[in-house]
Formats: sequence, C-alpha cells, structure tokens
Amino acid sequence: MELVDKIIKGERAAIAKAITLVESSKDTDQQISRELISELIKKPGKSIRVGFSGPPGVGKSTFIESFGSYLVSQNYKLGILAIDPSSQITGGSILGDKTRMVEISKNPNTFIRSTPSRGTLGGISMGTREASIILDAAGYDFIFIETVGVGQSEIVASNLVDIFTLIVGPGSGDELQGIKKGITEYADIFIVNKNDGELKMEASKTAADYKSALSYYKKLDELEKQVLLVSAIEQTGMEEVIKTINQIIDQNKLKGIFDKRRADQLEYWIEEEVKNIIASDITKRLTSKGNIPKYSEKVMKNEMSMYEAVETITKDTLKQ
Amino acid sequence: MTNKSNNGFNTWQKSFEKETKKNFSDAKSETDEGIDIKPVYTKDDLENFSFVENNSLPGQWPYTRGPKASMYTNRPWTIRQYAGFSTAEESNEFYKKNLESGQKGLSVAFDLPTHRGYDSDDDLVMGDVGKAGVAIDTVEDMKILFNNIPLDQMSVSMTMNGAVLPVLASFIVAGEEQGVDKSLLSGTIQNDILKEFMVRNTYIYPPEPSMKIVADIIEFTSKEMPKFNSISISGYHMQEAGADNVLELAYTLADGMEYVRAAMSKGLDVDDFAPRLSFFFAIGTDFFMEIAKLRAARTLWAKIMKNFGAENERSLILRTHCQTSGVSLTEKDPYNNIIRTSYEALSAILGGTQSLHTNSFDEAIALPTDESARIARNTQLILQNETGVTKTVDPLAGSYFVENLTEELSKKAWDIITEIEELGGMTKAVKAGIPKLKIEESATKKQAKVDSGSRVVVGVNKYKNPKEPSVDVRVIDNNRVRDDQIKKIQVIKKSRDTKAVEKALTNLTNAAKDETNLLIPCIEAIKLRATVGEVSKALEQVYGRHFAKSLSVSGVYGKHFEGDEEFMKVESKIKEFENVNGRRPRVLVVKMGQDGHDRGAKIVATSFADMGFDVDMGPLFQSPKDVAKDAIENDVHAIGVSTLAAGHKTLVPELMKGLKEIDPKSKIIVFVGGIIPEQDYEFLYENNVSAIFGPGSNIIESAEKVIDLISDNLSKE
Ligand code: B12
Ligand SMILES: Nc1nc2c(ncn2[C@@H]2O[C@H](COP(=O)(O)OP(=O)(O)OP(=O)(O)O)[C@@H](O)[C@H]2O)c(=O)[nH]1
Ligand SMILES: [Mg+2]
Repeated sequence: MELVDKIIKGERAAIAKAITLVESSKDTDQQISRELISELIKKPGKSIRVGFSGPPGVGKSTFIESFGSYLVSQNYKLGILAIDPSSQITGGSILGDKTRMVEISKNPNTFIRSTPSRGTLGGISMGTREASIILDAAGYDFIFIETVGVGQSEIVASNLVDIFTLIVGPGSGDELQGIKKGITEYADIFIVNKNDGELKMEASKTAADYKSALSYYKKLDELEKQVLLVSAIEQTGMEEVIKTINQIIDQNKLKGIFDKRRADQLEYWIEEEVKNIIASDITKRLTSKGNIPKYSEKVMKNEMSMYEAVETITKDTLKQ
Repeated sequence: MTNKSNNGFNTWQKSFEKETKKNFSDAKSETDEGIDIKPVYTKDDLENFSFVENNSLPGQWPYTRGPKASMYTNRPWTIRQYAGFSTAEESNEFYKKNLESGQKGLSVAFDLPTHRGYDSDDDLVMGDVGKAGVAIDTVEDMKILFNNIPLDQMSVSMTMNGAVLPVLASFIVAGEEQGVDKSLLSGTIQNDILKEFMVRNTYIYPPEPSMKIVADIIEFTSKEMPKFNSISISGYHMQEAGADNVLELAYTLADGMEYVRAAMSKGLDVDDFAPRLSFFFAIGTDFFMEIAKLRAARTLWAKIMKNFGAENERSLILRTHCQTSGVSLTEKDPYNNIIRTSYEALSAILGGTQSLHTNSFDEAIALPTDESARIARNTQLILQNETGVTKTVDPLAGSYFVENLTEELSKKAWDIITEIEELGGMTKAVKAGIPKLKIEESATKKQAKVDSGSRVVVGVNKYKNPKEPSVDVRVIDNNRVRDDQIKKIQVIKKSRDTKAVEKALTNLTNAAKDETNLLIPCIEAIKLRATVGEVSKALEQVYGRHFAKSLSVSGVYGKHFEGDEEFMKVESKIKEFENVNGRRPRVLVVKMGQDGHDRGAKIVATSFADMGFDVDMGPLFQSPKDVAKDAIENDVHAIGVSTLAAGHKTLVPELMKGLKEIDPKSKIIVFVGGIIPEQDYEFLYENNVSAIFGPGSNIIESAEKVIDLISDNLSKE
C-alpha cells in the first residue's frame, strides 16, 4: 500500500488521511482501514503511549502544551490525539484544543489531531486506538491521548495506553471518597495541576490527600503510585513528570508488566470488537424479523408474560 | 396614584387597545437587554427609583444630568476623530488637515504590530505594518507624528493598552524634545487592559503583570502629569464585540472598580487619581437606550466612588468619550451609514458626552478616505452649529420614558456588578473567561436576529439597493510602509549608543522583577532610542507572553432557528454528506496575523457547529504556516479565513503556499470572510480562494454555499 510507505516516511498529509480513514463510519473506508492497520501492525515503531484524563477544565490541554514543549525541546517527536468533549448531541462540534496548544502546534516535531467524541464509549472516539497505531508507525516517540474523565471513559482510555495519568485540580482531594478503590487500578500517575499562585497551598494539600489515600489502597505486589505536583501555566514540575514516566516504563518493561499490559489490552479490544460485531449483527436480525413488536403485542394482550416473550425472541434470534 | 385609579389613563388604554387590537399588558417590546419597553410612560413611571433622583441638577449629585453645570451651553463637546494609518509622516499630514477643518482634539490609532509590542521588522507582523493604524517603532516616529502640532496646546488621546509603557514613554519623550514638559501634556492614554482580554485582544502579558502596569501608569501620571487622563475605561469595544448595553455598562464600571483598587493598592489616596479616570462608551442604534446608558453610567459611578471613600467631588464624576457604533454600519448600501451615524451622534449628545468620534460611511470597507472622514466630521459640526442641541443642558431630563429607562438600566447593571464583586472582581472573572463568553452569547443572538430577519437592517436583509454604489477606498501599501519603517529602524540602530541601550533594557528587565514603577526605566530606554519592540521584549523576559484560552458558546444560534426551513435544509445536507463521506464536513476557522477581530470568527464557528459542521477553531495570531499545519493534520475539508484588519493580500497567498509545501496535492479549499474591499476580490480568486463572504453575509446562506463547495470539490477527486 502506497499509504503505508508514506506513513512510515512520516508524511503529515498521509498520516492525517489515514486517521480520517480509521475514524470514518463508511463501510468502504473501514475496509481499507483494516487493511492499512494490518500492514502497519507489522512495522511497529517504538512509541510510548501516555493517556491524560481528568475532569473538564482541570488543565489537561494546558498541561500537554507545557509538558509537550518540554519534550520537544528535548528532541522527542510527539503525537497528540485530543478527544474533544465539546460535541453536541444534535449538531456538530467546536474543536478548540488548538487554542490551548498554541506553542507545540507550531513545532515541526508534533502532530496534533482533535477528534469530536460524539459521546461514544464514554468519551473515546471510534478509531483512537487505530490512530495511535498510525502515529506509532510514523515514528513518534510519545503518543499522548487526551480524554475527559467522566465515568466509564477512564477504563476505556486506560486500555489504549502504556501509562495512564489522571490530572486533578487543587481541592479535588475531597472527592477521593467517591472514587476510592477503582482509581488505583487504572491510573499510574496522579498529577495535581495548578500548583501556582494562590492555589499552591491547596495543591500541596491535595497531593498529600492523594498520597495517603493511595498508600491505603495499595496492593502488596504493586508499584507505589506516583503523585506529582505541577503548574501547567508556570511550566514547573515537568522534569519530574518525564522522569517518573521513564521510570515506570523501565520498571514495567523489566518486570514484564509492559508487555503483559499490551497483551491484556489486545484481549480487551478483541473482546470489544467481537461484542460489537455480534451486537450489531443481533440488532440487524432483531429488526429484520420484527419479533419484538409482534411479541410485545401479545404481552399487551396478556396472551403471554414478558419473560416468556423475552425467552422466545432470544431463542428465535440466536438460532440460524 | 396608580394607573387603575386614573380615569384619563383608562381611557387612553381603551383607545390604545382598540387601535392596536392588542391587550395593553401584551403590548411590550423586549430590548436586547431584556428590558420591556411599554408603549407609553406616565408620571407614575418616575416613582420608586433607587438610583435616579428626580429633582437633581446638572453638575450635582448623582450627576445623572451631566458632569458640569453648564455643559454644551458654555463649550460644546470636543470633536475627536480616531485616526491613524501607514507611516507617522502620512498620519501627521492627515491630522493637520483635520485640525484645519474644525476638528478639536487628536486621537491616535496605532497599527497592530505597535499594539502588540512588535517592531515593523518582525517576521510575525509581515502583513500588518501600517495597515490598520500608524506604525510607531521609536520615539523618532512619535516626534514625526506630532510634527508642527504643539503638544502643550493639543489634547491627544492614544488608544494603547498592550504596549502602553513604551508608547506613553515615547509620547513623553517626544513632548520633552519638542520643549514641552510632561506636566503640560494633556490628553488620555487608554491603558485599559481588562477589556483587551475580554474583547479587543491587543494584550501582551498575562493579566496580573498587566494590571501592575496599569497601576504604574496611574501612579506616574497622577504625580507627574496633572492634565493627563491616566486611563480610559472602555465599554466601547464590548458593545462593538456584541455586548448589549447592560453588559457594556456593568462590565465597564466593574473594570473601573478594579483599576481603582489596583491604584489604591499602590498606596495612592483615591482622590489623588480618581479625578483623572475617564471613560469611553459606544453609541449604537437604540436611540433612547444609549442616552439612558450615559445617564446611568454617571449615576452609578458616583455611587461606586462614594463607596470607595472619595471625598473630592471630581472623583465622583464620570467624564466620557463616545464613539458611534462601527458595527451598526454596513458594507451594503453604504451611504445609509451617514444617516445611522447622525442618529447615533445625536444620541451621544443628548446623553451628555464630553467628546465624540463619528464613524465614516466606508467603515465596513476600509479605513476612511479624506472625503469620507470629512463627512463624518461634518456630522458633528452640523449638530454643533445648525441644530440648536447645545442650547440647553440635558434636554430629556424629566422625560417619563428616559428617566425610567435610566433607572432600569442602572438596576440591571448594578445586579451584574454586585455579582462580579461577589465572585472576587473583574480580573478574576476575566481570567475565567466568563464576561467574554457572555458577550459572545449576546453577539450570537444579535446575528441570529439579523439572519432570521426578525431584526431589520436596511439595505442588508430588507430594502436592498438594486444598484449598489461603488465607493473609493483608502489603499495602504503595507510593503512600502514596512520597508520605510525598517529603513528608519536601521538608521536609528546604527546611530544610537548600543551599549547604553542594552544597559537600559537590562535595567528595565530587572525592574520588572520587583515593585519599581516601570514607566521610569521605560522612559530612559526610549530616550536612548530603544524600540517599542525591544522594550516590550525586555518585559516579556520576566512576564512571558499571554495566550488566551478561548471558550465557545454553543446552541445559541441554532436555538433561534428551531423549525426554520433554511436552517433545516443545511442540517439535512450535512447529514447526507455524513452518510456519503463517513464523517461530517470539517472546517477550520482561523485568524491570522495580528488581527484581533474575533467576533465574526466566533459567531461563524458556533453557528456552523449548530448546523452540524465539525469546526476546528484556531487560536488568535496564527501564522499562515501554522494554519497550514493544523489544517492538514486535522484533514479538514476547508479553511475559513476571517480577516478584518486588511492583512488578507499578504496572508492568504502565504497560506496557499504553506498548504502546498506540506502537501503538494492538498485538496483543502479556502474561503475568506470579513472586510474585503471589492477591489481585492479578483486578487483573492486568482489565488484560488473558493468564496468570499463579506460583512452582512447571512450565515445560513454562507454555510450552504460552503457545504456545496466542499461536496463539489470532493466529487472532483
Ligand atoms: C467590531 C469591530 C471592532 C471591535 C472588535 C471586537 C472583536 N472582538 O471582534 C473592536 C472595537 C475591539 C475593534 C478594534 C479595532 N478595529 Co475594528 N472594527 C469592528 C467593526 C466595526 C465590525 C466588525 C464586526 O465584528 N462585525 C460583525 C461580524 C459578525 O461581522 P464580520 O466579522 O464581518 O463577519 C461576517 C462576514 O464578514 C462573514 N465572515 C467573517 N469571517 C468569516 C469566516 C467564515 C469562515 C465565514 C464563512 C464567513 C465569515 O460572516 C460574518 C457574518 O455575517 C469593523 C467595521 C465593520 N463595520 O465591519 C471595524 C474594523 C474591522 N476595525 C478596524 C480597525 C482598524 C480596528 C483597530 C485595528 C483600530 C486600531 N488601530 O486600534 C482595532 C484593533 C483590533 C484588533 N485587535 O485587531 C478597521 C480595519 C480597517 C481595514 N480592514 O482596512 C475596520 C474595518 C473599521 C474601519 N473602517 O476603520 N474593532
Ligand atoms: N492557575 C492555573 N491555571 C491553569 C493551569 N493549567 C490550566 N489552567 C487553567 O485552567 C483552565 C482550563 O484549562 P484547559 O487546559 O483547557 O483544561 P482541559 O482540562 O483541557 O479542559 P477540557 O479539555 O475542556 O476538559 C484554563 O483557564 C487554564 O488557563 C495551571 O497550571 N495553573
Ligand atoms: Mg482540553
């Protein structure tokens, strides 16, 4: 495939077009995109994929601008996939990430793509995983994935990356009660942002809260979870972040956790994909047979119970 | 006495209802501010006021009726036309001609590079030099600007906020070298940074250091320049950006409070500086509302200053400059603009302004020509000399309607001011981006009203002129201006004492690290011929450059068009497009160069998104190269360039080049919106621009054209 060569050469337009293909809802595009990904998978790069999640407005984009500037100044190549939360259900969306990533978006060593989330998968868009495969093949050292942290999305997002980072704001320690245990299962690093100006005290306190909560929930065989203080605006704490990321990666590689995670993630995505296909197939069958309205009417007329109807429809749909 | 017990009123009401076939209680019309205007006002409407005092007099508390007892009966308002373009030499010629023709005060419009602290030779400002104002790089330019204009006699207003330190310093040094001591200089420096972050967009440093600079200037002028207004607290730009009158009024006064606090925190006594605070408001088309706004502004400010503990009467008095609205003026059928401006000017006068700028009829096309500027000036000369409006003070006092409206506006504005104060003041609100968003929401609503036809704009959405007149435009050759400026900079850099300049700049950088008043080391550097850009960079080293985080409203435009056929047609075209192409049409809306007019871009972006486009919003001040990279990485179908500050002939070809450099086969189409004189259409089309949308374009129609162009372009593949 010509596109494959161009991607591997790092041609910007080719990478962009390829991402469009993997994001497309058109069947023919999906077809090509599968072929493309199968090819690219054979030529893996060496990217480390890092996820940044956190509540709206906590400073994810600003942090990425700040941290990213630091990385490109160290000659790393950086790919960024920003899943923009600002989509509307009825209309299109305004993708405003670039207004927060002014400096790095100018840098020739970055590639920044925003995608409207469309409310699917709790914030992760269709094609994000594939897009990171494309950027990996194109030779980016780091791939950042920015997602808004709402409910389920962290789980999905954490299955896309090698290191998952939760960005929180000063004062968010109070919410710890709510997130408690689950938190330690998918996040590797906790970054308390806005450690500047009037917010400094509050930020330190929040970091301390996180540290103590995390040590409480730490499993015996697990690595210590890291809590870092940064200010995206003042660009402080950045070296610490990269040091921590590198440390975790090295340790994980050493202990085999790195590959194990990638393998687990593959299982996750295979399962998801199979579920998706089955689900859409079943939905198609359900509609074409028209069983639901038929049996629903019977239930309405008290000719059978709802459970009987469900059982009959299920059996009928699954046979074949 | 209530309406109901009043026989006369009941009879009137019956007649009214018979004539209109409407219930009196339903016969209200709502203004943009959310104020219900009744078809008639009576004496009863003068009751229960909490701000306006019914029997007050001009020049007396609460100053509703004017800052002075005699007002125009003693001296008419100052005709002060805002102008500046190209080089200092050309602007100086223009000023002198205007002064000969009856203008009384000067008002300098600087070009965008100067505003943003860049010298004319900076690569970042290639398309902007001398285009939308006059280029000032050093004190030598400033001296040329006022050549043969005695600065001890002429009051000079300068719209400068971002690069306020080097520019005010240049003015002071220019005066000095003309033989005029700074204590004799009269005029105003705008020095209002908060509204820059909100709407005007010529900030340089982040909010906190910017506020410190404002306070430094207030401190310096209050001590050294007794005839000089230290600040012009401006609502003008807010209304021009789309704010309704309540927002304009409330945010301006809340800004004022913030400046008072900033100055007091430097240890100044409120009465030391408050008499030298001045204001600036816009006067739009809502005739009585604008009059009421000026009256309300004075009323509220007096109260605010009393709360600050001011004792000097002059601290309580709000003095203001006004400018008629530019945004009410249209590109279509432009002679209508003379009429609009006349009414607005009358409104400003009846409201009691101290000075006035009237816009030229070619406002929506380019900078004024000598001829259009003459008509604009004459609008005021006729008012002063022929209409008799100067013969009595505050002639609308006692009008049931105007007094009631003054009270209503005061109340509504006071509520917002109280809210902002509770949140911690305007600097905080501005940093969080709330006022900007509110203004954008208001602007989007106004656009929806015009696009849907529920608001008539003569010559634009109704009563169109079948034979559009063609008008002459002022053309500025920015390449020539840039070359001239660069030559001047080179000469100065060769002849100055480089070591001394470097030392002065280092001093300045160091001063920024502590509490020193920055104007003092600035004056030193400027005297030694440091450039505006160098001074700005010396401070940038400590403060950094500010990048605004832009938020967007959503759903405001679409809501206005629920069930609208044209709107739904575009929506369904987009759905069909998505079915065929596997994604929605994706458009990158950008601002390039130093042009900070973002009202149009923001409105178009949010409206397009409401119709179903995916819209990428670029940041302000992008270079064409950066735009090309963004566009290609996001694989957009089209780029929409919004350009109002006349940089298009430089920036658009650069963008085309940038696209081809990254992707020689790029299929991304480019369209352009904003201020494009007809004379430039051909040039843009030759540069492969697919469509041009000028001022007054209906956004739904534009969107349909865009989606059609994108579809056509894709089908060519
Ligand atoms: C409002 C305004 C301002 C506001 C801007 C507020 C803001 N945040 O946007 C304020 C008061 C701050 C301002 C300041 C200045 N202004 Co001004 N301003 C205007 C004014 C009056 C209206 C512009 C406007 O917003 N219209 C309303 C919007 C909705 O319309 P629009 O942008 O044209 O967009 C419509 C179409 O053009 C089209 N469109 C536009 N973009 C796009 C994009 C796409 C993708 C599509 C499809 C369509 C599209 O669709 C829109 C809807 O119909 C114009 C004159 C005029 N009447 O047009 C002068 C004008 C643009 N300003 C001018 C100048 C010189 C300035 C200053 C530089 C003055 C100075 N020297 O200090 C400053 C600096 C501002 C800066 N930072 O750049 C000049 C520019 C001269 C020139 N081009 O030759 C103008 C033309 C006035 C004049 N004749 O002198 N200004
Ligand atoms: N004080 C302070 N403010 C910050 C910092 N980082 C970000 N902010 C501010 O927080 C706000 C939100 O920043 P963004 O980067 O847009 O946040 P985000 O998490 O990407 O937001 P969404 O993408 O909308 O979810 C902006 O006003 C930033 O200026 C920081 O380090 N310190
Ligand atoms: Mg973000």
